[in-house]
Amino acid sequence: MKSTWLPILAAANLLQPLEKRDTGQANAVMSKELNGVLGKLYQVISFPEGGCPDWEGMAKLFLDCARITRITPEARDEFDVDGFQAMLSELLESGVYTSFFECEVGRRTETFGSMAHVLSAYETKRDAAATARLGAGVNSIQLVREQGTWRILSLLWDEGDSHLAFSPEQFQNMEIHYGQTR
Amino acid sequence: MAKPGKSPTTYQFARSRVVQTVERIITEGREEGMIWHNSKDSFGRFLEKDGKTLLNFASCSYLSLHLHDDLKAGAISAIERFGTQFSISRMYYQCQLYTDLELGLGRMTGGHVLVTPSTSLAHQAALPVLVGDDDLAIIDQFAHASLHVATKLLASTPVIRLRHSSMEQLESYLIEHGSKYLKIWYICDGLYSMRGDFAPFAHLARLQAMYPQLHLYVDDAHAVGWHGCNGRGAALEHLPQSDRTVVALSLNKSFSAAGGALVFSRQELKDRVHMCGGPLIFSGPVQPPMLGAAVAAAHLHLSPELARMQAELMHRILYARDLADRMGVRFVSQDATPIFFLPHDSPQWARAAARAFWSEGIYVCPVNFPAVPVNMPGIRFSITLHNDFSDIDRFMEIALRLQPG
Repeated sequence: MKSTWLPILAAANLLQPLEKRDTGQANAVMSKELNGVLGKLYQVISFPEGGCPDWEGMAKLFLDCARITRITPEARDEFDVDGFQAMLSELLESGVYTSFFECEVGRRTETFGSMAHVLSAYETKRDAAATARLGAGVNSIQLVREQGTWRILSLLWDEGDSHLAFSPEQFQNMEIHYGQTR
Repeated sequence: MAKPGKSPTTYQFARSRVVQTVERIITEGREEGMIWHNSKDSFGRFLEKDGKTLLNFASCSYLSLHLHDDLKAGAISAIERFGTQFSISRMYYQCQLYTDLELGLGRMTGGHVLVTPSTSLAHQAALPVLVGDDDLAIIDQFAHASLHVATKLLASTPVIRLRHSSMEQLESYLIEHGSKYLKIWYICDGLYSMRGDFAPFAHLARLQAMYPQLHLYVDDAHAVGWHGCNGRGAALEHLPQSDRTVVALSLNKSFSAAGGALVFSRQELKDRVHMCGGPLIFSGPVQPPMLGAAVAAAHLHLSPELARMQAELMHRILYARDLADRMGVRFVSQDATPIFFLPHDSPQWARAAARAFWSEGIYVCPVNFPAVPVNMPGIRFSITLHNDFSDIDRFMEIALRLQPG
């Protein structure tokens, strides 16, 4: 049903960012909370030359049962948070990366009650000052709101060939809230 | 595929996975025409590429000795004396030129020298013999790949990787692990072949004086010949003589012959590696033509001509560094070495920059992962005695135009 209606809504220019629509204070609060989590996510995974990701900060953002999934041309890798840290540490120690900078450049969010699904367009750079990007893509993030806090249940991204043709500038921001938050 | 739910504390990519990834990346580079070129001519000031003559800014023959008459004559004379090969295990017989070469290299370096078929095989011969079961090995993350390969042979010895040239981290490991291991080996390059930076020798010397357990194994392949007294390289030039230091040299690159060499402070260590180092028992020798060239190169390094050539190269290096500073061309390292690295923001930009250099008549090497970190693509170029000052001027003009930002 959604797939039937979304193009029509989009064509009618009804899928504007939430703040342009009168969706109520609860949704505005939810948007702010999600903004905080997403902002923090990109902050904890980025680090300058000689540094490392903010492991503690990362652990706080994810649920204990969270899954992190990376699709590469060679394979699909699935991790829990500790496993992901071990993999990143291996990449850092072996010098595959010496710094990392990733920032969000667009977002589509859909929520229903205590669950949220975010498609977050990103770009990676050599460092924050770099003029060209190393890569770009989309993070698919599922979040759950428990005890007043949004935490990440799943983080999934594709490092395959699709990123080569992807332009984050074309990514349209969108926010839809179905139902009411608790 | 990595499985979820295991919470490992360490992670290792499957070997076949690493091969697949490297194959994909190298294939991309090959299909874009970045690598695997052929040259029909000699490899001096110019390089031929696709029928076009380019200025050569990619050679590691820093003193351009590979076209020196003495080395050519040494190779020809060796062929006439021994033929093209000396085909018997070195354990039984070795060509007399080996002895001549080790004597010459001994005079150059002031140490006990063991010639090996290559620098890579030198590491594979020496490290498993030198590093014991009760030792700890710490290797710089940017140490040459051949060193990382050789540490895989250390089986029961733990190997820790160090952030590039982080002496703070090295000292913390020395403090943390000092009581647990007999010796702690730090394995590094003397001159890093991509970034063009020296190992932090002064700091290493200080740490070696402070921590008696610290032993150094330095691959100085890129600093031999063009650097140091008699061309002994950077490690032997800048580190104090010590029983706790072993240096590996390359007889290729600046030395312009073939093979590798290990420099020991004591004859017993040399003999031990000679007797027990796997590749020295089972691998083929350096063949007479290149031994002949190497003996001639050693003679040249012990002659006054070397200092003149070193000074001429250093003049070019400093000229290039100074010109770059004045023009605002930025390199990763500021060390006065013949290796330069221009960072770019993405592999695509680095490849585009390489194409632009080529189309303007200059050959440089585009560099991407796995030769450098994913976040450090760029252009590597080197300066040799074959590059004249007008070539360097032209190079910098183009580099400035292509520089990101």
